[in-house]
Amino acid sequence: MWKYEKTLEYPVNIKNPDPALAKVILAQLGGPDGEVGAATRYLNQRYAIPCRQVQGILTDIGTEELAHSEIVSAIIYQLTRNLTPKQIVESGFDAYFVNHTTGIYPADANGMGFTADYIQSTGDPIADLHEDLAAEQKARLSYDNILRLTDDPDVRDPIKFLREREIVHFQRFGEGLRMITDQLDAKNFYAFNPSFDGAKKK
Amino acid sequence: MSSEKQKLLRRLQATRFAVIEINLYLDSHPTCSEGLKYFRSKSEELKKLTEEYQEKYGPLCAADSKAENYWDWVSTAFPWERGES
Repeated sequence: MWKYEKTLEYPVNIKNPDPALAKVILAQLGGPDGEVGAATRYLNQRYAIPCRQVQGILTDIGTEELAHSEIVSAIIYQLTRNLTPKQIVESGFDAYFVNHTTGIYPADANGMGFTADYIQSTGDPIADLHEDLAAEQKARLSYDNILRLTDDPDVRDPIKFLREREIVHFQRFGEGLRMITDQLDAKNFYAFNPSFDGAKKK
Repeated sequence: MSSEKQKLLRRLQATRFAVIEINLYLDSHPTCSEGLKYFRSKSEELKKLTEEYQEKYGPLCAADSKAENYWDWVSTAFPWERGES
């Protein structure tokens, strides 16, 4: 179960609306490497993990990703406050606006809605953890690209925090992968799936 | 948000972040005695700061509400509003 806490993990206080930037940052809410996908990926993969430490890593990082989706949503929300129809058209935010007004919808920067097709849960811990390592790098580079597109310190500050978290999560997933491979046959990690074949052996 | 409230919230957020970070670290280093000591100290600090904040400014978690006459969980701002996080 989960408990909601009424503060952001990292503060978001944006003075100047910027709908064009909001549209770009949407990528990190509902895009292929966004926070909704990250939370969904890790929290679903947990059940096939054969060791408690890595179950803990997926649970705790998945939980933190929920808090990150709230940070990204707060950024988009604050960037799209008090817009005039003129600003909406000129910024290119009109395509999003016509369907969602300034509501927060998990889509990518092109407006493509979030889909579980972005993620996998293979039931194979080695495959899943490799996906997780890649996911953290892809999210990290998406934040790098966002940082290339804005000078606004109010936006850059929380984006930099999120970027740093991707690097820490990558580190933890690497340790998780090592823990799982340490329990396998060092001559052939892929000889069997510890979450499936291991259970049958007993 | 008053500057005093924000100052306390920043301390709370920084301490909570330390707890989140050491929690993740301990998941993969469960026998690190230095890490465990750090966790105990930060989590104790977080408990105190949370109590102080909630006493002054209302509940951070609905379950911690001490409301008698009005359900205060819905009388304080949600954190996505500008100036409320």
